[in-house]
Amino acid sequence: MVKNMGSLGERLETDVLIVGGGLAGNNAAIGALEKGARVLIADKSAIERCGAIAGGVDHFMAYLGTDIWDTREAYLEWVGKIARGTVNLSVQNAVFCRELDAAIQRMERIGCTLKQSDGTYYRTMSMGQPGPFFINFDGKQLKPLLAREAKRLGAQVLVKCAITGLLTEDGKVVGAVGFNIRTGKFYTIAAKSVILATGNTNRIFENPSGLPYNTWQCPANTGAAQTMAFEAGAKLANMEIVRITLVPRGFSAAGLNALTGMGGKIVNAGGEDFMPKYHPAGVRAPRFKLVEAVMKEIYEGRGPIYVDCRHLSAGEMAHLKKTLGYDKDTLPDFIEQKGIDLAKEPLEIMPSEGMQGGSSEVNSSGIMIDETTASTVPGLFAAGDCADQMRCVHLCTTGGYLSGKMAAEYSDNVGKGPRVKLSQVKQLQKKTFAPLRASGSVLHRSFEDTMRKMLWQNAGPARSDKSLNVALEKLEELETYFKDIRAQNYHELTRILEANEILQVAKMMCTASLARKETRFGVYHHRTDYPETTPEFDGQIVLWKTDRGMETEFKKLDYSTIPPL
Amino acid sequence: MPPVINLKKCKKCGTCDLHCPLDVIHFDRKKKLPLVKYPDECWHCGSCRLDCPAKAIEIRFGPEMLCL
Repeated sequence: MVKNMGSLGERLETDVLIVGGGLAGNNAAIGALEKGARVLIADKSAIERCGAIAGGVDHFMAYLGTDIWDTREAYLEWVGKIARGTVNLSVQNAVFCRELDAAIQRMERIGCTLKQSDGTYYRTMSMGQPGPFFINFDGKQLKPLLAREAKRLGAQVLVKCAITGLLTEDGKVVGAVGFNIRTGKFYTIAAKSVILATGNTNRIFENPSGLPYNTWQCPANTGAAQTMAFEAGAKLANMEIVRITLVPRGFSAAGLNALTGMGGKIVNAGGEDFMPKYHPAGVRAPRFKLVEAVMKEIYEGRGPIYVDCRHLSAGEMAHLKKTLGYDKDTLPDFIEQKGIDLAKEPLEIMPSEGMQGGSSEVNSSGIMIDETTASTVPGLFAAGDCADQMRCVHLCTTGGYLSGKMAAEYSDNVGKGPRVKLSQVKQLQKKTFAPLRASGSVLHRSFEDTMRKMLWQNAGPARSDKSLNVALEKLEELETYFKDIRAQNYHELTRILEANEILQVAKMMCTASLARKETRFGVYHHRTDYPETTPEFDGQIVLWKTDRGMETEFKKLDYSTIPPL
Repeated sequence: MPPVINLKKCKKCGTCDLHCPLDVIHFDRKKKLPLVKYPDECWHCGSCRLDCPAKAIEIRFGPEMLCL
């Protein structure tokens, strides 16, 4: 139901509003629609290709019960090791394990099979897994297929709509506001529940290529969920984590997993396969170990660094070349335009830009969720990379779907439509459009570039009490310049609001980093003043908004037992 | 480098505008042609090329990425 509200734009109403139409958001839509809820998905783009898996994806992690390492228990045990301190095993069990069978069936049903053409699964192993958990598949059409299914089931979609604030009443979330990034039309959406699914935070650290949109995950994902949830009083967790990966030099593209998973070696300028020097699992070590090793080799003058696939068999090379474009559609073009044949030459790689997001492939940073994907604010749910306990294709698929079901159930019990306070709408509208009236003396691009460089220096791969406090001071100073960054159109407005989201996430990241007085996951949270990992910090840093800014607390987690299914 | 659109092959359907996750391509209603309006915000995801029904889009990388 759409109502015209004059200068306040259009008013819409729904049961479940999903902010972000990516992998998790689409699965959430399907989950909610199957429960009979009315669903509205709002995305800055259209849902066919938005978010991290736009042009495709090639890996789905799962245990399939074929062997002792291929079980729920073995998976959770590995999860407890690889993400110890940020993952909550009980929530992982609820958002993944309980939903896994249904998720695999759903993939088949919508036409995106996980199997090879001969009906078998092709599985690869990396990241310290006890066995090949990664199912390698052709996910180039996964996004459009999910979008088609969500629409078939009746999802309403608001395209090119940036959601900029949550509406609350009596401490509950009752909707959100946003605007069309082309026309500037304002939207007020009354919703019985809201699922935030806008991914992790990118464009937050200096990009080694100098191109800020050359990012590993989607550069349109700049922390909208984290920012809005924080404002609404929800608790967030794992915000201290910096994520860095390895990418082909010049192109921050996904694909390393495919190359090393198939047997590619990482070598230095002297041709040395150096990874075993740094970790017993060699190239199958946890990602942060690979990154640290490459950084060290470069720093100590043994670069450039390469991934070498020349020793692969003809069959393996054929499979690699055929599937390399699944995870990043344009990666084969890049390699070809560089004039490289992977069968004959190694490919130069480099550490990627830093991102704020998950410490591993099994969980992320953001809104702290419980076993039902609910945040600490009633009516507010989170799914995908912006939820602290979901990440990667497998969890966005299972956990997104669960979130849809849970939000639909919650909406069922809400009763009459939520009331939206006009005064709150007006306040959020003013905040949203403020950059249109700014002075224009500061340019958006250079503002963001400065923030990125400053953060990499002080809150990047090496942090200390001093550097983090300097970062916080500079972030506060930077924030005072927002009133001077002018948007000349609604596209620019979108970018400026994204810069603000990045800044807010950066404040949370630095605050959480200060609270974790240890080093964990190597460069992903490296405190030079607390260089050891201590079991005292086997748990999460939880953060929330207060009158004085933000506060943190430590939440101890149990890794001694595997929760029952 | 941003996507290169062959305007002769272009069917003017607007799919590239609609599907680009970064709002880089704007379909000009007056000229009835797609324009790569924000080339330096291109993520090189390939979505435009994948979904163009006329196969009118090429992905060309530039020296800032190929020669880094």
